[in-house]
Amino acid sequence: MTDLDLDKLSRRQPPSADASARAAALAAAMQAFDEAEKNTQAAQGFTGGGRPSSIFNRIWSPIMNRRFLAGSALATLLVVPVAGLFTYELVRNGTVPLKSETGIAAGPADADQRARKPVAEKAKAEAQLAAKTDASAKAAADTAESAGTPAAEPAPLAESQDEEAIAAMPQSLAVGGAANGQALSRMAVPPSVIAMPAPVEDRERFASADPNPVKSVASDPVSTFSADVDTASYSYVRRSLLGGSLPDPEAVRVEEMVNYFPYDWKGPETAEKPFNATVTVMPTPWNKGTELLHIGIKGFDTAPAEQPSANLVFLIDVSGSMDEPDKLPLLKSAFRLLVGKLKDTDTVSVVTYAGDAGVVLEPTAVKERQTILDAIDTLRPGGSTAGAEGIETAYRLAEKAFRKDGVNRVMLATDGDFNVGPASDEDLKRIIEAHRRSGIFLSVLGFGRGNYNDGMMQTLAQNGNGTAAYIDTLAEAQKALVEEAGSSLFPIAKDVKFQIEFNPARIAEYRLIGYETRVLNREDFNNDKVDAGDIGSGHRVTAIYEVTPKGSPAVLNDPLRYGKGESAATPATDGGELAFLKMRWKKPDGDTSELATMPVTDADAVADVDAASADVRFSVAVAAFGQKLKGVTALQDYAYGSILGLAEAARGNDPFGYRAEFLKLVRLASGLSGEKAQ
Amino acid sequence: METELVEKAALGDRQAFAALIEGRYDFIHAVAWRWCGDRQDAEDVAQEVCIRLASAIRGFKGASRFGTWLYAVTLNAARDQMRKRRRAEWRDAAYLREKAVLEDHSADDGGEELWQAVRRLPDKQRDAVLLIYGEGLTHAAAADVLGCAETTISWHVHEARKRLKVLLRDAAA
Repeated sequence: MTDLDLDKLSRRQPPSADASARAAALAAAMQAFDEAEKNTQAAQGFTGGGRPSSIFNRIWSPIMNRRFLAGSALATLLVVPVAGLFTYELVRNGTVPLKSETGIAAGPADADQRARKPVAEKAKAEAQLAAKTDASAKAAADTAESAGTPAAEPAPLAESQDEEAIAAMPQSLAVGGAANGQALSRMAVPPSVIAMPAPVEDRERFASADPNPVKSVASDPVSTFSADVDTASYSYVRRSLLGGSLPDPEAVRVEEMVNYFPYDWKGPETAEKPFNATVTVMPTPWNKGTELLHIGIKGFDTAPAEQPSANLVFLIDVSGSMDEPDKLPLLKSAFRLLVGKLKDTDTVSVVTYAGDAGVVLEPTAVKERQTILDAIDTLRPGGSTAGAEGIETAYRLAEKAFRKDGVNRVMLATDGDFNVGPASDEDLKRIIEAHRRSGIFLSVLGFGRGNYNDGMMQTLAQNGNGTAAYIDTLAEAQKALVEEAGSSLFPIAKDVKFQIEFNPARIAEYRLIGYETRVLNREDFNNDKVDAGDIGSGHRVTAIYEVTPKGSPAVLNDPLRYGKGESAATPATDGGELAFLKMRWKKPDGDTSELATMPVTDADAVADVDAASADVRFSVAVAAFGQKLKGVTALQDYAYGSILGLAEAARGNDPFGYRAEFLKLVRLASGLSGEKAQ
Repeated sequence: METELVEKAALGDRQAFAALIEGRYDFIHAVAWRWCGDRQDAEDVAQEVCIRLASAIRGFKGASRFGTWLYAVTLNAARDQMRKRRRAEWRDAAYLREKAVLEDHSADDGGEELWQAVRRLPDKQRDAVLLIYGEGLTHAAAADVLGCAETTISWHVHEARKRLKVLLRDAAA
């Protein structure tokens, strides 16, 4: 074929455009148009004529345009890799301290660090959309996007460590570089990415607190905490370990790991008393001198026939960051599973938020399953996240389809930040609390990693009387949304609080394992206004105390010299009572709490670890693992191998393979930590 | 009449803008498809162009040159898309897609082969060829879209022809 017939090209007719794609594009365009409208009214940027440039630029730019300065330009090119290498050396030798910032607040320096991550590439693409994003006050917090905005200052480098490196360069080299600050700052980006040996900083944020301290019974005989049935932390830990790194200790919440597993605690007989506690006192596997006070609580299991009708609003984050296989596609599959589980009379609505909150599906009866599934299928990622607005829209729909005697719940699925709109944690909390009072609860499903804002998720779920789950695999979606749908959708009690009073005659010290973010004040227990966690149908809650018996060599606190005779008010010194457990809860629709109490006596105690039930032993193994990952000092000398042994012996009946998976994780952690495996 | 719509949209008239993109969507989609050669990509590009237009149309002057400008915007978006595609390096996916396209048009008069070859040209040569032969623009109009001199276009086309011959000979061998 030597004779080219290029005219053939014109004969080729493109396929006609797909109607739905066309509609989506037009809708997106109108949305962008409206946003641009808002921005123009906000009188954005520079109104004067000409480009904003400093006198420095005006003098330099004509000079820089001359060709004879090509030599300088070449020198600039030279400076860049040299600067990169130089920085690398400085960092490697520890001359320049590299701060790792994991704090909750994102400072400006923090933002600058992030700007140089590979994300910058994506940010650049987004920057083209930046005309429609509000580049004003929130720019600093709105990291990746703002960093890519062309409106950025010419010298973002000024605060960065590269600057120090460049400043330290010989003068002759530095001149060429300084000549065009803007160009240099752009060019300097790639080498610094390569040269920076610091680990890529995650934007994930976790709500966590230091492990609960050991408390002396003499001074603090009462421990109070709220129920927690979230499981997000376990999935997160699993994801980290499977990804080949030990989880951030901040990300580990021991109680969530323990509560992840289904245990067979004995449940209550009737719905009147919604839960039953099983107490075991056993020796501590990791400390000879202490005992574990193990409390297993199971909620009443509502038979499916009695399940109230549900009004669910899916509030789905479709921002650009959701465009990853483990985010939006996984989310779609997860919701498909959930829709399959619902009754025909239930209703489902779908709201998306990305830049602008939009209603994808008005409240629809589940009878029309296909309509709902189609709506979920049409979700496409794009835009930034306006969480607050989305939540408001979702609540509006929930009110529209409100079921008086049913379950009204917004299910928020997101990968993290609510970074556009009035999104301070406090504002959102207020919105959610207000709706909780009117009977609409909120559950949170977290997806993906790298951007995950765990603290926000926790805050939202806790204030909305909901659960927070982290979905990393379809199997996890199946667990959270289908197998445990009853528990997360149908609460049997709300504001569930526990209080345990230790008998100072028997127990010297105690330490609550986990529940750091759930600790309540002693006086809050009887205060019905204080919000606490919910327990759903069939939920299990497990709490473990490490207690030190009186007279044990493991007691850390010396006895009080002047403390004698203070404990006159304890009548139970002879009854063999170790502690006294109190539970308070409200009926899902009630405003006043009910109280149940039970003493913990010697009858609950077992002589050695193996005498405890398999479920107790397994939960203790999980607690040990969680604490070890969290870096609790008491567990430092307890090897992963021992945890493995403990868990392996307590595998029991494991129909879904959760426990087998746990064993795998312990082995992984053991390998990753460099500790010798068993 | 389109000129009028463009002028109105530039002043912030929502209706005018809606009508404008409504009317131009098929054109954008077709151009995007010619450049990308893939349905999904073409849809993505078309959506991206619509979004870009929403902010770019404001204060747009020179409504008479809207068509030219639209070409330029679409080409830019298509280039970005292809760059993204290349970066993703989903070779398997690309292979399958290519195969599917090939099978779809097996009855074609060798046009597909030519299209593949054209898409493999360097950016400027490809743009020039597609504008002139695919879109049927004159050299002058293509120069306007690409923002260069008419002679440059002619030169790109000339180079492209040479290159295409080599590419097609290789493919045939």
